[in-house]
Amino acid sequence: MEIPGGTCCAILGPTGAGKTSLLHCLSGIMRRHHPGAVSSGHLQIGERSFDELPAQILFPTVGLTLQDPHVQISSVRDTVFGEVLFTLENTGTVPENPTDVILPLLRNLGIDLLADRKPTSLSGGETQRVALATILIAQPPVLLLDEPATALDMAAQQKLRGILRSMKGKTTIVVTDTQLDFALGVCDQIVVLKEGAILFDGRPAAFLRRMQDFATALPLESWNHLKPELDEMLDDPSTRGSRITRALAIT
Amino acid sequence: MSKSIRQRIAEEMTGAALPFVAFCIALNLTAGQITAALKIPLYLDSIGTILVAVLIGPWSAVICGSAANLLAAALGNPSMIFFIPVVAVIGAFTGFLARLGWFRKWYLVALGGLLQGILAAAASAPISAYLFSGVMMAGTDFLVLYFRSVGNTLLNSVLYQGLTSDPADKLVSYLIVFFLTKNLPLRLVSRLRGASNLRTPDRPS
Amino acid sequence: MSARQNLPPKLAFVAFLWVCAFTLPWTIQAFLCLLLVLGRFTIPALRPGSSRAARAFSRFILYSIAVATLVSLLNAVLIREGAIVGNIFGISLHQEGLLFGARTASRLLLLSFSILLFFVSTPLPDFIQYLQEKGLPPYLALLLLLTLHFLDQLPNRIHQIFLAQQARGAPVDSGMISRTKALFSILSPLVLSSIVESIERGTALELRGFLHRPQASQPVEQGRSHTYWLTVLVLSLAIVILSYSIVKWLIG
Repeated sequence: MEIPGGTCCAILGPTGAGKTSLLHCLSGIMRRHHPGAVSSGHLQIGERSFDELPAQILFPTVGLTLQDPHVQISSVRDTVFGEVLFTLENTGTVPENPTDVILPLLRNLGIDLLADRKPTSLSGGETQRVALATILIAQPPVLLLDEPATALDMAAQQKLRGILRSMKGKTTIVVTDTQLDFALGVCDQIVVLKEGAILFDGRPAAFLRRMQDFATALPLESWNHLKPELDEMLDDPSTRGSRITRALAIT
Repeated sequence: MSKSIRQRIAEEMTGAALPFVAFCIALNLTAGQITAALKIPLYLDSIGTILVAVLIGPWSAVICGSAANLLAAALGNPSMIFFIPVVAVIGAFTGFLARLGWFRKWYLVALGGLLQGILAAAASAPISAYLFSGVMMAGTDFLVLYFRSVGNTLLNSVLYQGLTSDPADKLVSYLIVFFLTKNLPLRLVSRLRGASNLRTPDRPS
Repeated sequence: MSARQNLPPKLAFVAFLWVCAFTLPWTIQAFLCLLLVLGRFTIPALRPGSSRAARAFSRFILYSIAVATLVSLLNAVLIREGAIVGNIFGISLHQEGLLFGARTASRLLLLSFSILLFFVSTPLPDFIQYLQEKGLPPYLALLLLLTLHFLDQLPNRIHQIFLAQQARGAPVDSGMISRTKALFSILSPLVLSSIVESIERGTALELRGFLHRPQASQPVEQGRSHTYWLTVLVLSLAIVILSYSIVKWLIG
């Protein structure tokens, strides 16, 4: 699997497909928390090359937001501003005037008016964007988002799609989801996983052409509606793959 | 603090351990709410420390107990600050018992609890006697006064008062933690470093 | 003086009061207790940080005075040494017991008031940050701050689990043995959910680079402020009193 730099790749698949595991492999969490995990293959992130799963967390080169944004918030700072500043303190890169760096980021994410609010008092969509801000402040070249659209209403999803679109070109983005709608609005590449196997890897248009019959017959709203058709695809030997052992290269 | 102890604490307090220790400190301070709601005459004020000792390690348990007493003092019970050495001993002792595998069998847990209680009573007696003359502003002060009135020294009176309650309290706390951790999935416990303290051939992983 | 600048002289003052609690006569200790209570109302640096803290301090004063009186009287009754100084409902009060009780009570009150007054007038996050600037490792500072967050959440979580267990028939109102079993039905989900949450929170902290967080640096002081000299003065006074007491004890 190859993801060109500055593009957005959507990893789709039902629950248990291996989407979160893939992100954990890419961010360095997998081997750190499961030292005995067995892997094979090769990983390339920019100039950095790995023949085994990375043993250290790759932040700030690779930033990852978790499925539950409430857990991503440290809960030890009284304000959203303080929460974002916490990341800069961790990386030892606090500028002389943090306001000059943090407020523009919050403005880009549409949460500058929340700067003085308690992080624990925010809505789901606001918390999601604050969690994103806490990672983006470190300016990671690679950004991984684990099911960011879950628990977001349509308006919040729209907002998040706009933010991700604005980041393309500067940041390589990988988004996982169980639903097609969110991903289709933002990605340049779609990878479909099922039980650890890659079913499809290509452009959204190519994906939609293969899904054309389903796209006209069914509304593109839920992965579960498309499950029977995808099971048919899995029966086709030409689409079967092994567990994630292919060469992964993200440039 | 010598560098080696500092390093050992830092090693224990990584990953999931840090938030779990924070939770256990808060549990020490709020467990009384549970026993009060159920009208059970138990304190359980060291249950968090014992959990940390079993599921993480002795040094984290020392930190857990000490921080709980510091915060208890800050939140309205100022005399707790002087008993930090006692809770540190509780944490360290329990942690080392757990490392020796004592939390795999209920009878070893019971014995450990009794020993812990005796140790806690012995460790807290000098502090209570010399700093507070046996007065802790609790119901047990009457027991100390009774022991004094029948001719015991202050130190012995405080020690006897401690021995009437601490072993039973720690025994119950130990058994509660044993039964709580008995059925925890080892795949979760291993993320807290405590798997080797609990692993037996017949335990589900 | 800002709250942070207040901390060194306040800590020095607490140390001074602890020295007084173990060295000075009980009459002076009682007088210091009275000064502390008055100071809570008059000295800005000792004013409680919130109305909740103020109420807690007031409750503690009333409670401790009641206990101190009780302790003194009980010691006067039970320690039958010295002259009889009075009678309550026909029970004699002995001088040595009364003095012992008074000494104990005054020391206990002085120690308790000094600690409590420090904490009600100092926001805990400020104190933790001060400790971090003085060398407390970042993970210990975060531990204390995270605990404050859990202390806020835990009572509500316990209540929710209690209600949920009660709704599914847990014997929360039955006999002692049943209630003890119900204890597990509350503690088990609480501990299990906390382990799962801890794993996620720990991962999130590492994903934000917390593992390699540098030690907080001490803010650069612009010369010696008056709080520095106040701290030095108070500590010097404590050392003088302590030294005098030690010498007096050695001489006999």
